[in-house]
Amino acid sequence: MIFSLIFWLVVIYIVVRLFFRRHRKMYRWLQRELPSWEQKNIINPEQGNAILGLYKLKRIESRGKMDMVKILTLVGAIFVGLGVIFFVASNWQRIPAHLRTFMLLSITLSTLYAGYLFSYEKKGFVQLGKSLCLLASLFWGGTIALIGQIYNIPASENWYIILLWAFPIVPVAIFLNNDYVHILASFLFVIWNFLYIVNNSVANYYYPVIIFALMLPTAKNLIISRRINIIGLVSASLYCCFNKYEWLALFISAGLLAYYFIQKEERVYLYTACLSFIFWTVTFFTVREQQPNPFFLLPIGFILYLTYRDDIKENLIICLVGLMIWLNLTLASLSQIWGYEFDPLNFIVFQSFLGIIMYNIGMISKRRGYLFFEIYKVFSYLVVFVCTYLLSFRLMLETGIGKVNQVYFYASFFVAAIIMLLMIDEARGGHFKNKDVRLELGALIAALIGNGVIAINPQLISINTFVANAILVIFALTNIFLGVEVKRPYVFTMGIVVFALFIITRYIDVGWRLKEKSLFFIVGGLVILSLGTFLEKQRRKIIERMRA
Amino acid sequence: MNKKIIIVIIGFLWVVIAVGMVLSKQQTLRTGKTVVLETVPVDPRDFLRGDYVVLRYKLSSLDMNQIKSIKSYYRPGESIYVELKPKGKFWEATAIYEKKGDTINGLFIKGKVKYYYDKKLEANYGIESYFVPEGEGRDIERKMRGNKSSVSVEVVVDSSGRALIKRVYIDE
Repeated sequence: MIFSLIFWLVVIYIVVRLFFRRHRKMYRWLQRELPSWEQKNIINPEQGNAILGLYKLKRIESRGKMDMVKILTLVGAIFVGLGVIFFVASNWQRIPAHLRTFMLLSITLSTLYAGYLFSYEKKGFVQLGKSLCLLASLFWGGTIALIGQIYNIPASENWYIILLWAFPIVPVAIFLNNDYVHILASFLFVIWNFLYIVNNSVANYYYPVIIFALMLPTAKNLIISRRINIIGLVSASLYCCFNKYEWLALFISAGLLAYYFIQKEERVYLYTACLSFIFWTVTFFTVREQQPNPFFLLPIGFILYLTYRDDIKENLIICLVGLMIWLNLTLASLSQIWGYEFDPLNFIVFQSFLGIIMYNIGMISKRRGYLFFEIYKVFSYLVVFVCTYLLSFRLMLETGIGKVNQVYFYASFFVAAIIMLLMIDEARGGHFKNKDVRLELGALIAALIGNGVIAINPQLISINTFVANAILVIFALTNIFLGVEVKRPYVFTMGIVVFALFIITRYIDVGWRLKEKSLFFIVGGLVILSLGTFLEKQRRKIIERMRA
Repeated sequence: MNKKIIIVIIGFLWVVIAVGMVLSKQQTLRTGKTVVLETVPVDPRDFLRGDYVVLRYKLSSLDMNQIKSIKSYYRPGESIYVELKPKGKFWEATAIYEKKGDTINGLFIKGKVKYYYDKKLEANYGIESYFVPEGEGRDIERKMRGNKSSVSVEVVVDSSGRALIKRVYIDE
């Protein structure tokens, strides 16, 4: 279960990296370039705003360069603070313990006061004042650690030391508007939460309460601090899966969703709320002895609605992954009731069919002009590709023998029936006339029939290996032809990547069984190098032609 | 509010916390009763506070067949009160209570259940770490390796069951 969760998290990451990073980079470039175009009178500010509006982008404020004084004072403060903590750790005993505590506390308070003086009383030393306040906060941590050391407070109660460090520095962050201390406090609260859970074996409800009620409202425009706190909350929610803290995961999820309504410009609240609800449903499943969670459909449905309403395409992938995990948990639960074991073959075939159905949704969305058709297509393509790639290994097919899980088997064919109905509907509407649609459908039908054959006859390992590999080649060719047809370089490149991956995998697969490993690597390396050069040349030529 | 007043309040708060921490520990040391416990130590390194010796006591692992207990099951994280009675040089656990009021006149130490399995209860008492100057942890560990040295710890336990390490004895 946990592996499945990690697998899907990796899939989300890959899709986001592959698909959105590209756009984000272009958007950032556009945001940076626009002011210079306006300065050179190539466009006027109204046109600049219109361009930004077209891509739903905000104008970036021209940021002053980080000056040297700021960096030096900050680094200096951190160095001195760490030095003091290491000094405390060395447990230097030439000075009596209580004198050491008194000295450190005095230095801490003096530094804090100096921070105040430079921030508010002396003009022109604001940066130094802020760094000194950070240094005082680090010294404060050293003081608390020193007292803990003197009285031998055990390592299992480090959470208590961290809490006594974090809480008292929060007023410095809030009332003296010190961003560095806010970041430090946020970071300390994350550490405290984990130490508390690990050492006390209980759900820590105080952490989300502190973050929702204190740290997030005071973070205001401080993005780093806000992100640290949000990451802390999601990690706490993920941790619930391993510790069966069902209500804590739900509480965090609901809080993040509520925050999305308070600060809509911060989309990360919606992503993380969605992720947290997924962790909640996994926790629900483990806590209630593999019972499915029907209540999950309520929040995920609502988040899906918000995703469409607010046009947040990245979140659609998280929602789709959430729904797939929920569906799999439900089937796992039914499998347990009817006494079926985990069957890797039917599990993978089922995921590939889910991928095909999502691709169909993408095609229908495109035809009807709905949002996010490309997301459905790219995500589902990856799902079907990964599943078929796994099935193309003989070893994987061999492990599937003798463990037929009828629940997954019939669920796969139920999904296949829905796919057929959708395709028939497409055919009746006469949408197969376009060449690109025909190409896409060809690959989908190949995957549907091929993977279906593998599920029906798991014992025919040699035939199944051939079928899965044939589907991979069809995928690669479809992508290459489709990329040329629709003039999308990334679709074409994906085809080349699939093809190259197929060749390399099969070469290693076959070559690994040979006795002569040195020859295998030398020949393999040369083949891959020449193939890579050839494919890259061809790819560039075709992409240049497409752009022309 | 005036920033100067805020800084004074924060400074005052820090002093109160630091002094409060020291005083509460001093109160335990001043009013508590000293007992000697038997241990088996090892030597890790605390990321925050330097070298320390991990101490494991005979009463860290309790066999429920051999000591008195009202309950038959304990949850991890649950607080317990363990009654201590002298047996020769050392003090040993004789009974486990759920509440402080259950113990009758005897000395008891407050602990937290780590886990309970098959009538065996593992507990922490807040006296499992003993901090030593940097580098000395290794020496102590070397002395104690293979049970060549006998190790005992002098612990102060106050009236509410809170315990603090006073001294560690090696071969004494």
